[in-house]
Amino acid sequence: MSWRHLRAIIRKEINHIMRDRMTFTLVMFTPVALLFLMAYALTVDIKHVPVAVLDYDRSSTSRAFAQRTTEGEDLDLYAVVDCLDEVENLLMHGEIKAALVINPAFESDLQSLRGVSLQVVIDGTEPESGGFAVEHIVGRAEEFVGELLADQMRALDVSLESLQPIDLRVRTLYNPGLKPRIDLVPGLISMVLGMPALSVALTLAHEREHGTLEQVMATPVGRAELLLGKMIPYIIVGLVNVIVIPILARLAFHIPFNGSFPLFFWLSALFLFAILSMGTIVGVFIHTQPAALALSFLVIFFPGFFLTGIFFPIASMPEMMRMEAMFLPGTHYAVITRGVFLPGVGLDVLWPYGVMLVGLGVAFTAVAALFFRKKLG
Amino acid sequence: MEQAPPIIETDGLTRDFRKTRAVDSLDLSIQPGELFGLVGPDGAGKTTTLRLLAGLLDITSGSATVAGYDLARQPEAVKRRIGYMAQQFSLYGELSVVENLFFFSELYDVPRSELKQRTERLLAFAGLTDFKDRWAVQLSGGMQKKLALACTLIHEPEILLLDEPTTGVDPVSRREFWDILTDLYLGGTTILVSTPYMDEADRCSRVGLMYTGRMVICAEPRQIRAQIEGELIELRPDDWQAALALVETLPGVHEVQTYGELLHVFVDSGDQRLPEIEAALMEHGVAYRGIRRATARMEEAFISLIKRLEEGRED
Repeated sequence: MSWRHLRAIIRKEINHIMRDRMTFTLVMFTPVALLFLMAYALTVDIKHVPVAVLDYDRSSTSRAFAQRTTEGEDLDLYAVVDCLDEVENLLMHGEIKAALVINPAFESDLQSLRGVSLQVVIDGTEPESGGFAVEHIVGRAEEFVGELLADQMRALDVSLESLQPIDLRVRTLYNPGLKPRIDLVPGLISMVLGMPALSVALTLAHEREHGTLEQVMATPVGRAELLLGKMIPYIIVGLVNVIVIPILARLAFHIPFNGSFPLFFWLSALFLFAILSMGTIVGVFIHTQPAALALSFLVIFFPGFFLTGIFFPIASMPEMMRMEAMFLPGTHYAVITRGVFLPGVGLDVLWPYGVMLVGLGVAFTAVAALFFRKKLG
Repeated sequence: MEQAPPIIETDGLTRDFRKTRAVDSLDLSIQPGELFGLVGPDGAGKTTTLRLLAGLLDITSGSATVAGYDLARQPEAVKRRIGYMAQQFSLYGELSVVENLFFFSELYDVPRSELKQRTERLLAFAGLTDFKDRWAVQLSGGMQKKLALACTLIHEPEILLLDEPTTGVDPVSRREFWDILTDLYLGGTTILVSTPYMDEADRCSRVGLMYTGRMVICAEPRQIRAQIEGELIELRPDDWQAALALVETLPGVHEVQTYGELLHVFVDSGDQRLPEIEAALMEHGVAYRGIRRATARMEEAFISLIKRLEEGRED
């Protein structure tokens, strides 16, 4: 291994990244843009769901409850109706997504400390909005009933704990402050940071197409020097993203970073080494850019999306896919990002995943170096 | 002269691509200091031959020795001693002229102490001194070729392998490029250059004509020119098709080649046949603007040889 050759290749590649607008955009902005796109799509807040209220009780308590439920930005009161037929009509026309039905005994049940019974009718074709309305109404009902009972209990001088017989039936951990799927963002970060793998596959194919690789192969440069010289610059630009993205995640999505940043940085470097060696394998075997792009998506990004446990738990996958998941750097890195961002765990927990990344990186690089020959055709 | 061991020698060198045999049992022997021109129609195997000699392709069978090293066993040792220039422009477009030179000097382990002097000399040599900070992609086609040549010369190789270095370059740049090659040749560098241009082949010390992967003829340019039968008459008719049909049938005519609307007629004796052709044209009412004796060039010889080979293949 000649340090002089390696440095020449690295310097040339960094110049290429900085001077070629396409490459620069791909490696510096795509990860950020992709993160924003996916995170916004997945963490979008459902707001202003139109609902109708059918109040059979018509008491001051039921009116207060209906008003409380439709306060704020979550649910919009579209209409107060008199019968279920009207509810159905509105749902059919798509004018409301859900309806709250308050039964006739609402006030008396509450006053006699019996359980309240509520009905929510939702539009099954839009389960997201409907389900959200149900969660919201139940949450508000718990608050409302809780406050009401607290007053009564204070008057009766009994504690809440002694009132076990009261069963609100639906128990939910609904938390009005929790944004949906915020937990996905660290997983997404693990995915977008793998983008430089695409660049390294493309740049090798690009050099083949343009004949520059032919000219370099005609020199005495070593195979390992050439491959490492290609990978190292993309590891460096990848690490720039490793610094930028947690900052953006915090500013844009309020994702806390509870772990150690240096730990995250070095584990990310290992991940970049592993994923870039995968990209290098693609570049070694595939000689045109469109094909390299297609194969990168097929073997790096789609499995990275579906098999690394970001969206679907690995434990519930068939055994074959679990095996495959173990060979994907993203699987191990997703554990690292989630661990570092939210619970803030340290090396004592994460070291096996770091070891896996090193192992995969060394194995993939060895495969790439083994099959890369300084020959054409 | 014949005593010196050849600097490039191939013995039955063969390379197959799937079903086609690109280079077929090539026996080539080039002496140190030769300027050897490789000519032949597209697909004759010129590029494959040069890539094989540069160690960029695996040999299917046969063997080759370049600069004293066995090509199959010591390709990296060969690479240190040759300068190879691919047919396609193959430098880094976003690197400047000087950066490209520096990049290749690093890969060839050029001593740092000599780098500055060599760079300056090559820039002057290639006429690129004024453009040294310009990106390679911004250079004209001719300057790009000269930069590519400078990059292959940075480690002062004994042997240059150049694959159609002047294709797609304007005539003035082409001439300048060949003036540089002639300087190198006079300086003792062995040059193997493929070219589609016959005037360039004429400037070589020896020319090899390849056809369907084989070396058909390998001789000095004047010997190749002598291959042509008879003497040449150049005819510029108004209707070349009518003239061609007529002249082909006349006695003493070996061969007629067309160059656009110009006819090259090869006859057994120019002095005797020129008046006869004129008379025949008059008689048949075929108008012409000019007719004269001419000397055969490489181009005529080349076309004549290829024509004969193609006829031979059809039989």
